Amino acid sequence: MENAQGNAPSKIGRRSFLKLAAIGAGIGAASAFTAGKSLRAASAEEIKNPFPGSKRVKTICSICSAGCGIIAEVQNGVWVRQDVAQDHPISQGSHCCKGIDQIDLIKSKQRVKFPLKKVNGEWKRITWDQAVDEISAKMLKLRAENGPDVAMFLGSAKFNLQQAYYFRKFTAMWGTNNIDHVARV
Amino acid sequence: MTNHFGDVAGHSKLIFIIGANSAAANPIGMKHFLQARDRNSAQLVVVDPVFTKTAAKADHYLRIRTGTDVAFIYGLLHVIFKNGWEDTDFINARVYGMDDIKAEAGKWTPELTSDVTGIPADKIIQVATLLAKTKPATVVWALGITQHSTGTSNTRILPILQLVLGNMGKNGGGCNIIRGHDNVQGSTDMCCLADSLPGYYGLDEGPWKYFAKSWGVDYEWLKARFAAPEWMTAKGFSLAKWWQGVLQEEKTYSSSPIRALWVQGNGITSMTQTAKVQEALDKLDLLVIADPFVNEAAVITHQKDNIYILPVATQFETEGSVTATNRSAQWRSKVVEPLYESRPDQEVMFAFAKKFGFYDELTKGMKMGVKDRQLTHVKDTFSWPDDASLEIARTIKTIGCDGWTPERLRKHQENWDMFDPGTLLGSGPVAGEYYGLPWPCWDAKHPGSPVLYDIGTAVNEGGMGFRNRFGLEHEGVSQLPDRSVTVKGSRITGGYPEITKENIETVLGIQLSAEEKERMGANWKVDFSGIIQEKCREAGVAPYGNAKARVKVWEFPDPVPLHREPLHSSRPDLVEKYPTYADQKNNFRVAVRFISEQKAQEWVKDFPVMLVTMRVVNLSGAGMLERTSKYLSHITPEMFAHIHPDLAAGKGLRDGDMMWLHSPQGTKIKVKAKFSSTVTPDRIALPYNFAGVMQGVDMSSNYPDETRPYAVGESSNTITNYGFDIITQIPEYNAGLCRIEKA
Repeated sequence: MENAQGNAPSKIGRRSFLKLAAIGAGIGAASAFTAGKSLRAASAEEIKNPFPGSKRVKTICSICSAGCGIIAEVQNGVWVRQDVAQDHPISQGSHCCKGIDQIDLIKSKQRVKFPLKKVNGEWKRITWDQAVDEISAKMLKLRAENGPDVAMFLGSAKFNLQQAYYFRKFTAMWGTNNIDHVARV
Repeated sequence: MTNHFGDVAGHSKLIFIIGANSAAANPIGMKHFLQARDRNSAQLVVVDPVFTKTAAKADHYLRIRTGTDVAFIYGLLHVIFKNGWEDTDFINARVYGMDDIKAEAGKWTPELTSDVTGIPADKIIQVATLLAKTKPATVVWALGITQHSTGTSNTRILPILQLVLGNMGKNGGGCNIIRGHDNVQGSTDMCCLADSLPGYYGLDEGPWKYFAKSWGVDYEWLKARFAAPEWMTAKGFSLAKWWQGVLQEEKTYSSSPIRALWVQGNGITSMTQTAKVQEALDKLDLLVIADPFVNEAAVITHQKDNIYILPVATQFETEGSVTATNRSAQWRSKVVEPLYESRPDQEVMFAFAKKFGFYDELTKGMKMGVKDRQLTHVKDTFSWPDDASLEIARTIKTIGCDGWTPERLRKHQENWDMFDPGTLLGSGPVAGEYYGLPWPCWDAKHPGSPVLYDIGTAVNEGGMGFRNRFGLEHEGVSQLPDRSVTVKGSRITGGYPEITKENIETVLGIQLSAEEKERMGANWKVDFSGIIQEKCREAGVAPYGNAKARVKVWEFPDPVPLHREPLHSSRPDLVEKYPTYADQKNNFRVAVRFISEQKAQEWVKDFPVMLVTMRVVNLSGAGMLERTSKYLSHITPEMFAHIHPDLAAGKGLRDGDMMWLHSPQGTKIKVKAKFSSTVTPDRIALPYNFAGVMQGVDMSSNYPDETRPYAVGESSNTITNYGFDIITQIPEYNAGLCRIEKA
């Protein structure tokens, strides 16, 4: 763990290191087993970086409003490792337990993987095309019957600025002010 | 947040935290408060009904009775005014209406305040003294202040305290409100809200015309999209009470009942009255959910049909900017492509806009730009998110987003190591700019404003006075400050009005050319030409004016904040003296009960225990995200309530026993008793972050295969009491009552 990023542990404060180590322990153990019995010698490049060719992407935590920096290490399109951003002006390398788990959030097994429709109490997998066709037909039918205030739109505090602005515009063009999100609460 | 975390860490000598548990909800914010203690010997005062993890770090902990924040602050102000500790120069120069506050504070002696709030009188005097003698002090709050039937008054009385102390517009001072979700500030600014257009422009005809122009659409077309013109300018249903649009038990005022609910990234159990939400969900004709994880709306309903779930990408699978709690915009790069079949939120909107027949109109604004000082069509294609960012920058002038171009925000991200964490000031390639260009960032050259209302800094370097928003005069009194309040480097001595086309020549002492007059918008808020800002820059003037702060809001039911007992009060004797508001006929299209609910019965007889909600460190919001994490959910695998052993003993409860909690509206939840001395025997505290179980019934079999979170539980919001703020309609989460019964 400590040498995985080429950082000597002494560069990290002892307490944060222990925290990191505690979180990393489970992952480290699992990877050791998956490496299996093939004890070939690690290349010099691998020792320097176990994910050759990876790139480090700067991004921002999606949990709370403090706005902590995250360095996401990506190899072949896969987010392989999350690094704290020591040089970020707000978080300065700190993370809470939620923030440091962001890599697992996106890779969570519980993600919604494809469009779903509930039919007689059962969830059915459907295609995007079917979902968009059916939903829009139903929405337009309700709009024809009751007018645009027939719908309530709940947006998100997880939207980025561009999405939030466009969601407001989207509902305006649908024709309603029935739009809100958790800033209300 | 008027200042920023680094500013607190570097300058605050006193941190007054009320209704915020940063140690759990915002740990990196909390780190800065602890740094302030190390660096400035800052004292930490924590006011909370529960002895939180934040309180555990406090020098002074004050345990307050729920729903008495206004009374408590008046108690402090009483002591401050009585001793002449207020900042008279600051008040005289920069504040309007303080006499009314002083008169109200006069009533709140330490003894009376103590009786109402439950805080000992000597502690009130001690903290008031500390506040008066320790400068600069910052005031910090979060949802413990806002989530009340008196939320608006609560959020007003705290800045008033800071104005009295002269702590506004100063390093280490200010009101540092800690927002919740990562972009709740930005989604508010960009306005996923029922009562405004983006940038707090409101819903009047003028703003609609301005936005129609910016979006490149015909205003008449846009108007015709609404049920009728009056619904275009009327607030919509709010998140707090949308379900009454479905159920219509209370009187509603809308052109249609709600039959379809479209949820795109909003935990359904994060609002109160979950049992009513469930009833409403059951009655819908259509429920559309677009989320990376299964929204509990799909789980707590009994509906067998008419629900669709669309997989949406997380924020690491798309690109854009987010506004941190300190108003800094941060660029968030895409880490990986959307997983599975998920699509980013904007693509979901675009797909449906095509079907709804307004895709061209929706995206037209991204093909426009300002050329020759006029807004015009500039290209035939658009690039997301850059062109959406540019559209926002040229449109949202009220809070000063003009300088937020994608190029600048990307440059800040690339060079984030070049900013000083204490001041946010950049060096090298970003020299002179503040990290994330905290708004207002008036134009493409502006460095951002790290500390609001700082007149000791030039406007072009991030300084400003208070905004001139409420006219130039009230009851014959000028709303502009005198010569002593001159913003550094300003051409104008003393106060000045917000800049309009009509007054710009007089106020700035300039002569406009005929072409400038022709191209200029009516005022600084709607001037696409940018000429007003250009002239303001030359004069060192903030386009929004330099006015006094008003502490009296003459159009509100309570022009100065007043203590009003919670609807379900633990002190019926005080209800007589401090009753709530009259019932509200229509707010956000629905009637709201106030006094009729408060007076319906003596609630505390049947529901003797105060109910407080709280957060746990490993979960946020309704917990929809983190409960899908094995590691995080393992810390709190099940729902519980903090209960004092003495209270539990009276109910025959042992630590770990299950208990029923009953609410005044007839709902109940079954949760585990967790013995804790963080609460007193008169109250219990419930985490807010669980869902999936409704009134004892586990609904989690409704999760689609392989989407059930690791932890499910009763939602505290099933029993949070009826009650809503009279202005914002924020629900009452924190001053309710309940009855406990062994399960």
